[in-house]
Amino acid sequence: MKITYNWLKDFVDIDVSADVLADKLTNSGFEVEEIIYQNAHLHDVKVGKIIKIEKHPDANKLQVCQVDIGDKNVQIITAATNIFEGAVVPVSLPGADLVNGVKIQKSKLRGVESEGMFCSGEELGIDDSYFEGASINGILILPNNFEIGQNIDTALGLDDVILDVNITPNRPDCMSVIGIAREICAILGKKFKDPDLTYECVQERSEDNLSVLRESNSCPRYMAAVIKNVKIEKSPLWVRQRLFAVGIKSINTIVDLTNYVLVEMGQPLHAFDKSKIEGDSIIVRDAKENEPISVLNHNSYKLSSQDLVISDVNKALVIAGVIGGVDSCITDETHDVVIESAVFDLKSIRLTSKKIGVRTDSSARYEKGVYFSSAEQGIKRLLNLVYRLQLGDILNGIIDKFDHKPESKYIECSCEEINNILGVKVPEKNISNILSGLGIKCNIEKSIIKAWIPSYREDLENCYDLAEEIIRIYGYDVYDKCDNALFDKSKVTEGGLDDKTLLERKLKKALVFNGFFESVSFSICPSDICEKLNINDNRKFMVKIANPISDEISCLRTTMAHSMLSNLAYNFSVGNKQVNLFESGRVYLPESLPVVKLPEEINYISLGSIGMSFFEFKACILSAVSETNLKFSIVRSKQPYLHPGISADLVDENGVIYATFGQLHPLVAKNYDLPKNTLYGEINLTNLLPFKDKEFHVKSVSKYPIVDRDLAVIVKEEISNADLISAIISACGKLFYEVNLFDVYRNKSLGDGVKSMAYNIRLSSDSKTLTDEEVTAVMEKVLKSLKFRYGASLR
Amino acid sequence: MEQKLIEIRDNAREELCGIKEKEGLASFKVKYLGKQGLLTSVLRGMRDISPEDRPKIGMLVNEIRDEIESKINLKEKEFDNVELLKELENTAIDITEPGKAHEKGGLHPLSQVYDLLIDSCVNMGFKVVDGPEVELDYYNFEALNIPKNHPSRDMQDTFFVSENILLRSQTSSVQARSMQTMKPPFKIISPGRVYRNDSDATHSPVFHQMEGLVIDENISMADLKSMLTILMRKTFGEATQIRFRPSFFPFTEPSVEVDVTCPNCKGEGCRICKGTGFMELLGAGIVNPKVLEINGIDSKKYRGFAFGFGVDRVAMVKNEIGDIRSMFRNDIRFLKQMK
Repeated sequence: MKITYNWLKDFVDIDVSADVLADKLTNSGFEVEEIIYQNAHLHDVKVGKIIKIEKHPDANKLQVCQVDIGDKNVQIITAATNIFEGAVVPVSLPGADLVNGVKIQKSKLRGVESEGMFCSGEELGIDDSYFEGASINGILILPNNFEIGQNIDTALGLDDVILDVNITPNRPDCMSVIGIAREICAILGKKFKDPDLTYECVQERSEDNLSVLRESNSCPRYMAAVIKNVKIEKSPLWVRQRLFAVGIKSINTIVDLTNYVLVEMGQPLHAFDKSKIEGDSIIVRDAKENEPISVLNHNSYKLSSQDLVISDVNKALVIAGVIGGVDSCITDETHDVVIESAVFDLKSIRLTSKKIGVRTDSSARYEKGVYFSSAEQGIKRLLNLVYRLQLGDILNGIIDKFDHKPESKYIECSCEEINNILGVKVPEKNISNILSGLGIKCNIEKSIIKAWIPSYREDLENCYDLAEEIIRIYGYDVYDKCDNALFDKSKVTEGGLDDKTLLERKLKKALVFNGFFESVSFSICPSDICEKLNINDNRKFMVKIANPISDEISCLRTTMAHSMLSNLAYNFSVGNKQVNLFESGRVYLPESLPVVKLPEEINYISLGSIGMSFFEFKACILSAVSETNLKFSIVRSKQPYLHPGISADLVDENGVIYATFGQLHPLVAKNYDLPKNTLYGEINLTNLLPFKDKEFHVKSVSKYPIVDRDLAVIVKEEISNADLISAIISACGKLFYEVNLFDVYRNKSLGDGVKSMAYNIRLSSDSKTLTDEEVTAVMEKVLKSLKFRYGASLR
Repeated sequence: MEQKLIEIRDNAREELCGIKEKEGLASFKVKYLGKQGLLTSVLRGMRDISPEDRPKIGMLVNEIRDEIESKINLKEKEFDNVELLKELENTAIDITEPGKAHEKGGLHPLSQVYDLLIDSCVNMGFKVVDGPEVELDYYNFEALNIPKNHPSRDMQDTFFVSENILLRSQTSSVQARSMQTMKPPFKIISPGRVYRNDSDATHSPVFHQMEGLVIDENISMADLKSMLTILMRKTFGEATQIRFRPSFFPFTEPSVEVDVTCPNCKGEGCRICKGTGFMELLGAGIVNPKVLEINGIDSKKYRGFAFGFGVDRVAMVKNEIGDIRSMFRNDIRFLKQMK
């Protein structure tokens, strides 16, 4: 919100500079986001008088002017056509840095020296609404009574400093000049100068001219005043100056004053042309279904019963608190006006403003909450201004319709409580000074604070609120030196990781050790990922975001695959040829669509590799899973995005899948522009959680040596390693220690459709050193078993 | 006899000096000490010596044999050493060829920072609590004193799924859930992913937070200060200072913004901290008693503090990452720099 330094001075004596003030406001909870000096671009611009104009000796369109700038005369060359001898004009001199970026310096134009430039209104940053004549296409001609040689900022009243303050939602009362002024009083220890709310009225009574009916509960208070014989004209300069400074366009006296009061007092006001109010009745009511209204932004809306309107006996005149209607607005022909000053329910205004997409200074103010007594102060301030400027006849009595006056609030708490919350001791004297500085009447007796809360502080309810008021004004820098021991007045609590984090960390460590880098991706994805991934099951039903930024991030992923494959594809596209990534994240599975219950969230670690072989990849996944005590078997996977022949699942005896991995389905690889041998895998952390702890069952180790034998057999392709190994194990019986496949060999010489599998078989006995004969007997038994069960032949 | 022995000894000494390789040494050994060797043949002549001279001669023979033997051994070792040196020299490799190891991967900078932050908090007695990302409006807002249509909802742009279901905009939703299930005193942190309808170079629609909550009987702003000072020192170094500035959050009262000594310039003032020496990093405060009451904790007996911050930001500052989007692009050339 923009307020100005000079405006604030109407209500508090400020004895610090605007910069210092801005710092102090920021440090007490009102962050000043920008300090704008109105005259930042007006230095070295003065009021000058053109004494003499001559033609340029060398250029048809240029003129050479002698200009009086007070302390001396200067020569200025210009192409402007609207100047004349005796004209009073703004003159920018060498060193000036105008708002449009033009920097002035001495120069020669076609051989004749020019010591500056005349300025247009635009070059000074003003237009007609601020200063008459400022919008013309040419030099700004100033009134003759302007003092020659004066700085232009002073001459035009552009010497204020604007503070752009960020008002937090708990302080709607500070969305006003007086609100911030009150804060400054507390900060600087000054007294608040109350706004002048006095005026004189004529005999005629408002009530005899207008009736007000408050029909809706969304309007706790409605006040109205009638002003007759109104002068609708240009506002005086000081009003226009202030509105200009805070970025509001001047329109006419009445409209300007309602805006002036909005900025100054924080109370939105609305002015009606009284002659357009049919039946001289104002009715505050809920809109009818589809009730039409044309408003000042040139749009028409159809309202519903949730919207609040101000209407006459026939039709809606105003969308309450949001925007006025065309029919009843103030025009040059307006003779009598009705001023509205109301309190509306913030939720109602918020909903309507959001629904029709119209946000005005008024609605912005109402949706944060306007307090009960603000309506009265606001309307009285307006009447005071109307009276001071002699703009019309104020009728006697303000119409005031309300439910009930809110009770005044009172908070009682001990200084000890405040100090316990803050953990630092604020002296009682400071507490009392701070609270009264903020307009909170308070009384401290025997260390008990009694505080009567002013009506504009609806945010203050308990001692925590008071504690904040005290410390923010006392200064948070008191904590800079506060060095208490950690939790010195608290009980010891036991810290620890949750199971998911524990498990996740173990697996991540294993994967990092195996050469994988961790990636982090969005869990929101485009709506078409299942098509790209060849998925045609329940995962197609994704939770959709109702208000997405774009389709790219519109759904919650039901599979980790899209993020991983996109990351691999990005790396591949930029020339990273060897890429191993993993990601720890979630998928979101809705029970049904549209979503009525929270979806199930499953934690996964997904993996991807360009460059590894299937079996290297498999080893990495198994090494990660071996951080748990899961007992699993490996079966072919049915994941639609994986190659059906080069993919596997880790399952338990009930068929629950804990991990899946394999080469991408060629169609999916193509969809993501990935090489054919790209690998993808995922580990279901949620399913693995019950197995998170490694279990060790240590058996005693034989003291007799291990005997190694190698065996290569030729079998048909369809015989698997797992088949052969289980046969070997059972044939070795009690002497089995270990078996490892160390070579797979295929060659035409072996025959078609067969392969040679070479195993290293290791035998050991608990009770003796094995003899050659015993070992040979076992090996014969193994070979026999392989021949019998799988048709194997010795190679 | 004695004369002859001395002669043999002198000859052996001389001959030994001339031997330059191992083979020569072997034949030398045979020549003097072998069965047919010079010294042995001298011994054979012992019987011709008078019995009273025998011990003397015998001693001399032994002396000479010992001398020759030890000299041969010494020489042998000398030759072995030379040979070994030669072999070592011959088997030298080019140590500048690249190492062949299986290369380690690395954690994402975000995880590294999370691990650091989480471990620091766990050491101070905090438990890690997890919660859903798709959340009820109730836990994300209402239970935290942000009623529907309240102005404070404007502080965050939220992604909605339905009227009452949304993507959590803060991990405080986990705090609300925890307050309803855990018995005070407790200390929890809730690290996790959050979502906001906002996207540019400094804002990502998906980002990561860590929030903390402490509930006990005598908690104060001073506890908050000392706890956060420790956490920030573990994160940015022991010289780190923090300071409070007033702010507003619906779930805390008093509410503060917490500034941390700029990790880039260590407080000297630089471009990143706009010359202030401090960086705005956390939001914190004393838990609003209304929030305690909404979630079933007796606000007369208990008090708490809460804090929260963006972890992406911490990771970016610590690793001098300029654009938040590069954190989610997962280019391994980027990730490799932080392994």
